[in-house]
Amino acid sequence: MSGRLTSSNKVAVVGYAHSVVQRHNPRPLGALTVDIVRAAIADAGLVPAQVDGIVAATLFPSAGSHTIEDGVHTVTTTWLAERLGASPRYVAGFQGVGQVSGSVALAVNAIVSGAADHVVLYRSLHNPRGSYHASATDAFGGPAQWTAPTGYFGPLAMIALPYNEYLQRYGATREAMAAVLVEARKNGARIPWSYWYGKPLTAEQYLAAPTLTDPICRYDCDIPVDGVAAFVLTSADRAVDGPNRPVYVSGYAHAVPKTNNRLPLHWPLDDIMTAGLDTARRLWESSGVKPGEVDLPQLYDGFSPFVWFWLESLGLCPVGEAHRFVQDGRIDSDRPDGLPVLSGGGALGNGRMHGIPQMLECYLQLAGRAGDRQRATATLAVACQSSPHYGGAVVYSVDPF
Amino acid sequence: MIPAGTAGAAGVPVPAGAGTGTPAAGSPRPVPVPDEQSAPFWAATARHMLTAARCARCRSLTIPPDQVCPHCDATDPEFVFEPVSGRGRIRSWTVVRQSFLPGFNAELPYLLVDVELDEQQELRMIGRLLDGPDSPVRLGTPVRVAFEDVADGVSIPAFVLADGQEDA
Ligand SMILES: [Zn+2]
Repeated sequence: MSGRLTSSNKVAVVGYAHSVVQRHNPRPLGALTVDIVRAAIADAGLVPAQVDGIVAATLFPSAGSHTIEDGVHTVTTTWLAERLGASPRYVAGFQGVGQVSGSVALAVNAIVSGAADHVVLYRSLHNPRGSYHASATDAFGGPAQWTAPTGYFGPLAMIALPYNEYLQRYGATREAMAAVLVEARKNGARIPWSYWYGKPLTAEQYLAAPTLTDPICRYDCDIPVDGVAAFVLTSADRAVDGPNRPVYVSGYAHAVPKTNNRLPLHWPLDDIMTAGLDTARRLWESSGVKPGEVDLPQLYDGFSPFVWFWLESLGLCPVGEAHRFVQDGRIDSDRPDGLPVLSGGGALGNGRMHGIPQMLECYLQLAGRAGDRQRATATLAVACQSSPHYGGAVVYSVDPF
Repeated sequence: MIPAGTAGAAGVPVPAGAGTGTPAAGSPRPVPVPDEQSAPFWAATARHMLTAARCARCRSLTIPPDQVCPHCDATDPEFVFEPVSGRGRIRSWTVVRQSFLPGFNAELPYLLVDVELDEQQELRMIGRLLDGPDSPVRLGTPVRVAFEDVADGVSIPAFVLADGQEDA
């Protein structure tokens, strides 16, 4: 069964906090997370004792050889629950790839069901010392035995194959991606907390960068960072009493791919688009919103080709046309007729904050809190995360229609 | 550069590092650690034979096998590795210029191909194309399996360009 969620517009985002995004934060990730979460609670006009729900996803997204320690490399909800000073009765982690959109779904369901009244949602990202993805392992068991010995290893090759499949199928070129990078970095350069603050990128700089795994160059990949963001969600009834304009969660959907047991990290273009189109269909049904009504679609861009894949999955342009759609200023957030798909800078313009830049931009614009970047019209927004075939998306609204 | 015809089906071993003409140095090429299910696959590659796992319930082929057949959802697929032709067509490719595995540093740059095997729609494998990074590849280019002998008794499947058949 599908259709509009009974929770549609029954829950709202009512506050947030965000750390500076930098390559290495001198403070330990756990303590920084506690600080940011407490700041978000205060921003929502609450005190920690009023928070009774804690949700997050804690994936540490590295292919490299790293030991993962709770509170250091990642921060689980149970770790935080012991240290926040809240009164938690619903503590849950999202086990999936659309980490932020998946956490939003947990929060919405907890609030609508009565499992919690005020839920804090956070994402803590850590950039380990040493090479992010490199592995010194020279013998691979488990799933990687099928790929690493053949030279297929790590996320750059993972995204390079469907990206090149797209270029070949639709006659696109790497030059067409420059518009995506220029737009992401233009907007990231205006965001004070961004790693790329004050550092825009030109098309010439982008195209001059050597490819690492053709056609991917370093600018096509978000840069690993230390950073924390947190949001507070509560019921629509309570939200109107807070200090900020509520931003309602109208719907959400997550991908459930049937990939016929691919090799590890093998993401054929047809897998991405088949599951992505299904995800988008359920997203629109869940929210009662149509793609043409969205004036702030914040597309995921952890790797630049995802912007094209999401544009097509969401129905914002025809399949095979995204590489043309992004040209000639059509995604320029400074143009009145531009579709602002990266106005929050995305991951390419902020750093590897997973789905946070997309959710944050939706929240700030719809709450009227975007400051100098505030758009005149921002009423219906979408925040996407990850690949369309493993991730998810959330629809936000200024009105509880 | 490995001329097509000296590797793979003919059974001529291709030493690791030969893909770029550079001697393998430093870190060894990573090797698989076979498990109970995958052991027949790696035993076959050691004999330069490519196999795929066939489900006893629906007869579909799968690489790699899982606990549940991805085609018929059987929980008792009783997969058996059977020889396949090793022929297929390129669905995508990439040139790897920076490796996250030290064992491939001597091979850089190298071409990886995403191959759909002839035996079954969407039966896909990824491997190095041993003809070199500048090989003329496009969607649908025919290839056939080859093997790299990376350690004593360990051979890794790869591909080489197949002759002709562009319009086959
Ligand atoms: Zn079967």
